[in-house]
Amino acid sequence: MQDFFELAVGAAASGCVYGLIGLAYLLIIRPTGIINFAVGEWAMLAAFGGYVTLTKYEWPYPVGMAVVLGLMFVVGWATERVVVRRLVEGGAPLLAPILALLGMLVVFRESISVTFPPDPHPVPDAFGIGRLELGPIGGTYQSFFTIVTALGVFIGAWLFFERTVAGKAFEAVALNRRAAALMGIDLTRVTALSFGAGAVVAGLGGLLVAPNISAHYLMGVPLAIQGFTALVIGGVGRVAGPLLGGLLLALAEQLTVRYAPVPAGYAQGVPLVLLMVFLLLRPTGLLKAKV
Amino acid sequence: MLRISELRASYGAAPVLQSISLHVDRGETVALLGPNGAGKSTLMAAITGTIAQRAGSILLDGVELAAAKSHAIVARGVALVPEGRLVFAPFSVEDNLRLGAIRLKGALAERYEYVYGLFPRLAERRRQLAGTLSGGEQQMLAIGRALMSAPRLLLLDEPFLGLAPMVVQEIRAALERLRATGLTLLIVEQKLDIALSFASRAYVLIKGRVALEETTAALARRPDIDDLYFALASTA
Repeated sequence: MQDFFELAVGAAASGCVYGLIGLAYLLIIRPTGIINFAVGEWAMLAAFGGYVTLTKYEWPYPVGMAVVLGLMFVVGWATERVVVRRLVEGGAPLLAPILALLGMLVVFRESISVTFPPDPHPVPDAFGIGRLELGPIGGTYQSFFTIVTALGVFIGAWLFFERTVAGKAFEAVALNRRAAALMGIDLTRVTALSFGAGAVVAGLGGLLVAPNISAHYLMGVPLAIQGFTALVIGGVGRVAGPLLGGLLLALAEQLTVRYAPVPAGYAQGVPLVLLMVFLLLRPTGLLKAKV
Repeated sequence: MLRISELRASYGAAPVLQSISLHVDRGETVALLGPNGAGKSTLMAAITGTIAQRAGSILLDGVELAAAKSHAIVARGVALVPEGRLVFAPFSVEDNLRLGAIRLKGALAERYEYVYGLFPRLAERRRQLAGTLSGGEQQMLAIGRALMSAPRLLLLDEPFLGLAPMVVQEIRAALERLRATGLTLLIVEQKLDIALSFASRAYVLIKGRVALEETTAALARRPDIDDLYFALASTA
């Protein structure tokens, strides 16, 4: 049992990271319909931001984190401004920005691969290395920090969409772009903000997971797949969807590694198997959208 | 108040509006008639900036709106009640109204009161989800939502479509009260009897062009009025 709790805390932390990446997809998909696979690269960029500010220059963690996330907002905003806006406003089909963003995925990755040597770059834990025991439940500081931070983000996102006029305006764009435009909602600004927020959330996921897996220029695509799977499992209809999906996915991964009589490498196939199963059997995800 | 000249608009390569010129004076109620596919809804989209490709001139009180974005056009005092209502189904009546006033600064109590006064049924159902309202109530909500932005020019795209006669009467009475306050109305209407008795002037649109402009009084006196509509429809 002790063994299972240990596994569960680790899985919850990974699940929260997947959930954050999934939320980054969702924040952009809802108002625009655009699936942005570059969210994984945004997480990677933020991990390298963590390496530079926290490891290389040894800034205090909150300062480094704030600077990195602030820069991530700019990256997301600029991605929309430069790559997406002309296509969307020119009336291009939805596939055009999705493909353009796949191109950006390569641009982000290669810009890091030519700037940094191809080794893993260490990123520190927020509270240093240590263990926290809460009764039978124990795990690393970083695991608990990841869980608490991610829950905070999800609660914040939920409050934003449920309780604020700006959140309702975002939702209105998701429900019907034309009707939202007729209300006087600035679609361009909503789109730009959704990309900015998506990059911040994905970046946060990258920063939180980086101490475990180190910043590496190839870390983006696996995260993009795991986050996308989390989103597909949970559904795009509700903010809590990617969190639920991420937790289930991480648990399935960890249980496979720990208990299934297969080589550990097979765990990497778990998200893809789940992705296929859900796309075939329940493409709307577990949580139903409220309509 | 509204002066449109040589307006062209298209979806992709296919032109829908060829060269539209029309005007609506302050306080006037103007009807837009025409068969399906004539471009009436496209004209509404062009005025409100929700169609990407448009050229020509749309002057609102002398200010050019042809290149303006939809949110800027709403801020200038133009609101559209779109065809099919397009209420936000998962939102409450009140949230729908709140979004209608998103470009207004300051207290909105007076706007809510105005809309609820016009449609008391919306006040009764203010906490109800818009998707659970009847068709007529959704239409009232769509009109109320457009009024929340305190428009000077209200565009209505087939506001009576698919509604029961009693509801039509109710909404029509509300629109007449709006007109009495001096609000300028441009209304797309397929039913001649409503259009002729409600509006003071009418444009007939055929294949993206203005085919006829007349006062509704003159239009109603035409001996061929009964045939007119069928004739218009069959040329499309």
